[in-house]
Amino acid sequence: MSTKDQERRIELLQGTLDLLILRTLLLGPAHGHAIAKTIEFQSDDVLQVEQGSLYPALHRLIKRGWISAEEGTSENNRRAKFYRLTAKGRRQLAVETSKWDKLAGAIARILRPAGQEGQP
Amino acid sequence: MNRRKRMLDDLDQDIRDHIEQETRDNIGRGMPPDEARFAALRKFGNIRRVKEDTRDIWIVVWFERLMQDLRYGIRMLAKAPAFTAVAILTLALGIGANTAIFSVVYAVLLKPLPFTDPGQLVTAFQANSHEGIAETGCSFPNYEEWRAQNHVFSELAGVLAHQLTLTGSGEPTVVNTSVVTPELFALLDVRPLAGRILFSEDGNQGAPPVALVSEDLWRGRFGADPKIVGSSISLDKRPFTVVGIIPAAFRTPFFNTRQEVWIPLRRDPLFSTFMPRRATHMLPVIGRLKPGVSIAQAQAEMDAISERLAGEFPAENSGWTVRLVPLQKEIVGDVRTALLVLLGAVGLVLLIACANISNLLLNRAASRTKEIAVRTALGAGRVRIVRQLLSETAVLGLLGGAAGVALAYWGVQALSSLLPADLPLMNPIRVDKLVLFFALGLSAVASLVFGLVPALFSANSDLNVTLREGGGRSGESRNRRRARKFLAAAEVSLAMILLVTSGLLLRSFSKLVSVNPGFEPRHIVKADISLPRFQYSTPQQWNAFAAELLSRIQAQPGMKDSAVAVPIPIAQGNVNIAFDIVGNPPPAPGTSRTTDYASISPEYFRVMGIPLLAGRSFNQQDISSAQPVTLISRTMAQRYFSDQDPIGKHLDFGLPLNPNTSREIIGIVGDVRDSALAENPGPMVYAPFAQEPFWGANMVVKSTLSASAVAAAIRQQVQKIDKDLPVTDVAKLPDLIDASLSQQRFRAFLLGLFGAMALLLATTGIFGVISYSVSCRTNEIGIRVALGASRGAILRMVLRETLVLAVAGLAVGLPCALAASHLVGYMLFGVSPNDPATLALVAFTLAAVSALAGFVPARRAMLVDPMVALRHE
Repeated sequence: MSTKDQERRIELLQGTLDLLILRTLLLGPAHGHAIAKTIEFQSDDVLQVEQGSLYPALHRLIKRGWISAEEGTSENNRRAKFYRLTAKGRRQLAVETSKWDKLAGAIARILRPAGQEGQP
Repeated sequence: MNRRKRMLDDLDQDIRDHIEQETRDNIGRGMPPDEARFAALRKFGNIRRVKEDTRDIWIVVWFERLMQDLRYGIRMLAKAPAFTAVAILTLALGIGANTAIFSVVYAVLLKPLPFTDPGQLVTAFQANSHEGIAETGCSFPNYEEWRAQNHVFSELAGVLAHQLTLTGSGEPTVVNTSVVTPELFALLDVRPLAGRILFSEDGNQGAPPVALVSEDLWRGRFGADPKIVGSSISLDKRPFTVVGIIPAAFRTPFFNTRQEVWIPLRRDPLFSTFMPRRATHMLPVIGRLKPGVSIAQAQAEMDAISERLAGEFPAENSGWTVRLVPLQKEIVGDVRTALLVLLGAVGLVLLIACANISNLLLNRAASRTKEIAVRTALGAGRVRIVRQLLSETAVLGLLGGAAGVALAYWGVQALSSLLPADLPLMNPIRVDKLVLFFALGLSAVASLVFGLVPALFSANSDLNVTLREGGGRSGESRNRRRARKFLAAAEVSLAMILLVTSGLLLRSFSKLVSVNPGFEPRHIVKADISLPRFQYSTPQQWNAFAAELLSRIQAQPGMKDSAVAVPIPIAQGNVNIAFDIVGNPPPAPGTSRTTDYASISPEYFRVMGIPLLAGRSFNQQDISSAQPVTLISRTMAQRYFSDQDPIGKHLDFGLPLNPNTSREIIGIVGDVRDSALAENPGPMVYAPFAQEPFWGANMVVKSTLSASAVAAAIRQQVQKIDKDLPVTDVAKLPDLIDASLSQQRFRAFLLGLFGAMALLLATTGIFGVISYSVSCRTNEIGIRVALGASRGAILRMVLRETLVLAVAGLAVGLPCALAASHLVGYMLFGVSPNDPATLALVAFTLAAVSALAGFVPARRAMLVDPMVALRHE
């Protein structure tokens, strides 16, 4: 795989990952590991990303003000950092989701054989 | 930096937690602990890369936001082209003026002198507190002792300057000659363009006479002839071998005029005669401190040496000390304060400009309240809003700064032609890298100054109130209105400071121009003829030459009123010598009687229009074989002969070659401002040229002929006597008096310019505030008119608002202006720093101009149609 392809894939994944994190946090604040687990679970293990790549994404979202970080206690009573969706993040999620839906729709139309449009 | 570290620590912690959690999960799934941890690490990926990526994200996001802010700023500015143009122009004027002045300050005060390791260079002057002498040269024998005995200087050198006559190869001319101890060139690390520099051996007794010539002289006079090195030139009719060419960039310390020739002191026709005298304080000395030696250490050593010398040669050296001063400080002298005052003044102009822009921004921010409220409602934090507004002003600041630098390039050109000739310029004035940095820094600071207040106000606005008001303008917050008025009043205060100082300087300049110098310079042309001292060596020769020249010139048509004088007042400054009154007790120790001195031909007083107040003037019988006589000035008569008639008394005085001659006072003449127009005349004595001749005859000719015709006639007659004598420094006396005021003119002109800028800016500031206030109150005014308020009442209301602003500004400005005027007090002539007329005029002008600035919007308010106004919202 050429570097360019790789970059494109990462870019795609980045946007997707951001969206998935926001989606995950819509359900409530969570710490890093829990977010990774949820994403893995929700995406039926299709998106096999290294868990580490979650962290740059989390920081990007913090810097953009879409999520916030705070100290909290995890399930097993350990101190951990919790990430929470901000009001701005909530709005962004709506924007991103509709963008994603459009993109997904476009991809779906292209991939589906002609004549089958509109069928479930 | 701390925040960054904390974030990195947090990230570490987060990652550790994550891996631990995953490991525990794996163990829960039944993996052995080791394998569980391995699996967790594998799943996490490369920890170091994760950290790096995260760090990159911070930078990328920060940069993205910066670009976003700047783009936003540019877009917003482009939407309001009128505002942007006015703001950039205002700022460009402020920054341009500051940068131009700073380039002068930098070149004169801050930039290191153009010598190797300039920090090591000091001047060594002699001082004598008993005789009230703060600074004078040292004698050559003392210089030799200093050089031999000290351990703190790597080298010491003496430097003097005067003019010598250069003859051969073309018209005879006078060249500015530095007379130096040869060590000067090694000390200053001068590299010759060709040939060599002078070495110590060139100063030895019996060494062949050598000279260095300047690049300019070499190119101009000698046509860049490469064979000049090794050839012979004639200075004061003596041959000197040229051994080197000095580059044009080299400046001889102390001397503003470009030096053209350098010769060893040992070979100078005049100063070499004083070399053996230990009591002749003639030689200013420059020293280079050894590396690591402080000026205090050097001072201690020189103190010890002076004490030793005082013990060894008490007659010449007791009471004399040595004063060391860094060379740069010595060269800059009192120009420093004047330049700093100018810099301060131009800084005030920039402050006023900033207040103006700040006000414009406040107005703009007010009309953008809604936009900002919407942004806040959409979740933009206060910090973010401030950031955004500040980046808008930063764009403004940078654009203004760029325009300002362009203006400064032009301003520096203009300034260079205005600079006083006697400004001690060792470095050329130009907009160089450091000056550009200054301009950039200034733009940044300025944008912060004018941007912060409006930005904070905008970010603070109450969301609910603003949104409910539907973005109308009447809902302006009280605080903001107060801020706006405060800024306008501050502009008036700042303008007052500038106008009072510039007013005082302009007034004192006009007084200076119209001051009576004690003589009538109109129609007088002067010319200098300097006699080569190797050829004309006796007073008899000098006298014979002057007498013949004068009679020849007086015989020319239209040139009857001619005289000889040394020195000519203002044109050549003053000669100050000690004197005694014969029969009076000598002055108390610690004081000395000095007087200004001139040697003149009998026609001088008639030609110059100096009145004879008592006794008789000189006549043709006052020759060297007759009784020595003198005329004294009115101040001399009043100060030393207040209760008696001076005529018939005797004074002892003379030039150093002939110091104590008893002369009979035969008359009293009017006072003359001989050293400078700004200086009150002191005591003065005159001696007949025939009794006190000089190796030069400086002519003053009162004639209705043109200056060039007079010059041509003088040249013709001089060359009939001796074809190798140059006539130099031909000038009209009024022009020279004018030129003597160049420092004062420079200061008065620049401060006047800054005052005018301040007045203009403050006026537009007030106009802006009142116009805005009127447009905010259109509604209210409409209601008032509808309820029956007369148009006159509306006019008065708006004008009152204006005048309250102006008066508040004046009230605060007055004490500040007084403080500032005392700061420039030493530059004033004939005007007190508290001059009530200037203060009143400035206050009146500012109030009147403010009223005018308020009148335009007030008229608009007066003409408001109530129906339109009420529909305004």
